[in-house]
Amino acid sequence: MSDRPPALALLAADGLTRHYRVRRPGAMFGRRDLLRAVDGVSFAIRPGQTLGLVGESGCGKSTTAKLVLGLAPATAGTVSFDGAPLPAIGTAAWRDLRRRMQMVFQDPLGALDRRLAVGWQIMEPLLIHRLAGPRDARERARAVMASVGLQPHHFDRYPHELSGGQRQRVVLARALITEPRLLVCDEPISALDVSIQAQVVNLLLDLQEKLGVSYLFISHDLKVVRQVSHDVAVMYLGRVVEQGEADALFRDPVHPYTRALVAAIPSPALGGERRRERIVLSGDPPNPIAVPAGCAFHPRCPWAVADCKAATPALRPMPDGRLVACHRAEATPESRAA
Amino acid sequence: MAIQDSLGGAAVAAPARSGARRAGRLLLGLPPVVAVSVAWLALALVVAAGADLLAPYAYSALDLKARLSPPVFMGGGWAHPLGTDELGRDVLSRLIVSVRMSLLIALFGTMIAAGLGTVLGFLAAHFRGRVEALILVLIDFQAGMPFMIIALSVLAFFGNNLVLFIVLMGFHAWERYARIARGLTLAANEQGYAAAVRQLGATPLSVYGRHVLPNIASTLIVSMTLSFPEIVLLESGLSFLGLGVQPPLTSLGNMVGYGREYISRAPWIMLAPSVVIVMTTFSISMLGDWLRDRLDPTLK
Amino acid sequence: MLSFIVSRAARAAITILLVVAFAFVVMRLSGDPALLILSVDAPPEAIEAFRKAWGLDRPIWEQFLTFATRALAGDFGRSMRDGRPALALVLERVPATLAITLPALALKLALGIPAGIFAALNRNSWADRAAMMASVAGFTMPSFVLALLLVLVFAVQLGWLPASGSDTPLHAVLPILTLGTAGAAIMARFTRSAMLEVLGQPYIRAASAKGLGWWLVVLRHALPNAAIPTVTIIGFMVGSLVAGAVIVESVFAWPGIGRLLVSSVANRDLAVVQSLLMVIAGWMVLANLAVDLAYGWLDPRVRTITSRAD
Repeated sequence: MSDRPPALALLAADGLTRHYRVRRPGAMFGRRDLLRAVDGVSFAIRPGQTLGLVGESGCGKSTTAKLVLGLAPATAGTVSFDGAPLPAIGTAAWRDLRRRMQMVFQDPLGALDRRLAVGWQIMEPLLIHRLAGPRDARERARAVMASVGLQPHHFDRYPHELSGGQRQRVVLARALITEPRLLVCDEPISALDVSIQAQVVNLLLDLQEKLGVSYLFISHDLKVVRQVSHDVAVMYLGRVVEQGEADALFRDPVHPYTRALVAAIPSPALGGERRRERIVLSGDPPNPIAVPAGCAFHPRCPWAVADCKAATPALRPMPDGRLVACHRAEATPESRAA
Repeated sequence: MAIQDSLGGAAVAAPARSGARRAGRLLLGLPPVVAVSVAWLALALVVAAGADLLAPYAYSALDLKARLSPPVFMGGGWAHPLGTDELGRDVLSRLIVSVRMSLLIALFGTMIAAGLGTVLGFLAAHFRGRVEALILVLIDFQAGMPFMIIALSVLAFFGNNLVLFIVLMGFHAWERYARIARGLTLAANEQGYAAAVRQLGATPLSVYGRHVLPNIASTLIVSMTLSFPEIVLLESGLSFLGLGVQPPLTSLGNMVGYGREYISRAPWIMLAPSVVIVMTTFSISMLGDWLRDRLDPTLK
Repeated sequence: MLSFIVSRAARAAITILLVVAFAFVVMRLSGDPALLILSVDAPPEAIEAFRKAWGLDRPIWEQFLTFATRALAGDFGRSMRDGRPALALVLERVPATLAITLPALALKLALGIPAGIFAALNRNSWADRAAMMASVAGFTMPSFVLALLLVLVFAVQLGWLPASGSDTPLHAVLPILTLGTAGAAIMARFTRSAMLEVLGQPYIRAASAKGLGWWLVVLRHALPNAAIPTVTIIGFMVGSLVAGAVIVESVFAWPGIGRLLVSSVANRDLAVVQSLLMVIAGWMVLANLAVDLAYGWLDPRVRTITSRAD
């Protein structure tokens, strides 16, 4: 992935960093801690492809999504979309960019205005960007509704009158009506019933095939990420620890954190081989304010050595082209366990 | 919608029913106290709107021959149904004009406070940082000091005229709207529809005007029904003290204030406006309680 | 706990500073004090001398600092009317205000809390409904109307009590009744809802399920927990004692600071108004601080939660 020329990328993030100053509990007079929500993340998404972003909650996935969309300013690093850097927040250029990159939210009911009919909300982006008059917008709304599997009579319904799956289809329709090149899906199915999840995932795959739209697909559900992603990046406490082509990464995870995540996928399809060396995450859950020195993962890592506490491992390429941030990446599983 | 629910399906099933009959049914469907309150407020509004037509005399017309004449039920005549004051002015006429004055002041005051507070709340939620900190400090100050004291201090410095007085009433309880607007907007920005619409590229004006405001309107309206009677009380209290509406203009509190001089000889001068104040504030509070239960589950 | 106290005290200090700033801003917005206090046709040298005396010829920040230091020292200048220091004039009125507001507070608590508890324990009975109607009346009836009704009944009709003045202890009865009864209605409403809230909690049901007698459950579990929110409203009442007394003192010609405020506003005696503003604000802030501390003491959770939420 990293060896491809950047000109091919629809979206490229380079050294993306977002720090927050947070007040320490109980402290006064402005003593503040630094929360490194996102700390030097780089990746690229090619046209028509999907990058899966996985990690535990609090690892910086959602902040990354906001940075990529330009909804929050980055502390450092750059995002370029279609070869051009993101314009400053709130400018006309920024507003115009909205129609080319859109977001799909975790909670479709929250993301919809409960006082407006969904059809109106689907055509609203066209009206905001003055891409169509009211009559034309209505026609296009009906068309995009059909393409996400909504019936024409849903047009005048209110969000609370629809099912969870239908609502997420409405959110998708609203996002797609301006024909964006990139959709950022932040946990798009985790709020849905299990029975509906597969339908929405299949819809996302169909739409990508038909429209050639790229996805940044954020989820903690590795099974789904594996299903939809071409490439995957694994985040831990604001940093990418492993990144590469999806099949290879899931087949043979290198970083101990990725291994733990993959091993925890509750699926018989993954076979018994990996069961053997199943890693159970131990130690304290990660606290993004008190990030451990050295490798952030070392307190929970079964293979940590003295080096891991001293130096932060850089993300470096493996022979197969994937990137891993682990001092012991080259060691064989057998020698690691020792 | 909520009102129709309380009537069951009947009102929905017969949309062709005439407006008057529907209104009648609506009133009958309410709890009795609320129905009486609505009726009283409707009467007060009609009186306020038609004050010039309804008042039998000019409110400042003197009738020196009929000074301090008692109302009809205390042995007076029909010429002055609610009696006259120490200058022979007709109490009923003054009452009608006073209702208009007091309701207008409270209405303007409520709307100014709602507008000001909502805008400040939006600003706080939109800009965060220093702007928000400053607005929160102002909110704390406003909530921390009794408004009566603030109002009196301002009146001491600025003197009194009607426009200033109305604007001053418009500062009553603005902080409640600001808190509501800020809190609900933050919630909407954090996760919900406002963030969604913003990332669609909508301008802040359309995010707040078209999406956030309609969504928080019911909470704001409930808050307005709470502060409207408070402004009636505040205005009448200040006018009672002689620091609010100044003669020759008249308001309910102003009438009570001047009537108290004659409390032993002509108690009707102060009793009539007192009854109107109590009935009005009581009615709005009852209506507000009822509205809150129906409209706004978040305040329960 | 120490940091909790310090943060609350810092907050109180900020409020006081805000009141000073408010007084300053209002004073400066209201126009040229020289022209306001001297008459418009005063000789120019007199206006100049006045400006110099009050420091009005210096930059605005300097003026504010001077104003703030003097205000915090309690020096607001002299009353326009009798030339005495404004603060002294205010402080000598405080005992009279306390003489009616403290008994009124006692009355509010003595009537309101039992009534609220009774209403909550007999929810939806006729007594509950009557108590709640009375409490709405307490909210919606202006104090001057209640005061005048009491005068009408007890002074004019029955002739039992004096209508106004402050010569004998009997003169205090009607002001106390006016302040106390309206406040009692409000107190009853808050106590009732605090009690209902607590009575609906699982631990109350658990306690009665264990077979404890109902009255024991109420005494040992419900009342102490209902007391926590009730403290807030009591603190609020203590803080607003003075504000509430403004109208009542005026109606009964009671020589407290409320009546002083009204007459000073009417006469535009600005030094006295400013002193009153600071004294009342200081009283409010102290009351709020006391409530915060009492809260932290009654409910240990508050200490950590509020400091975290900041």
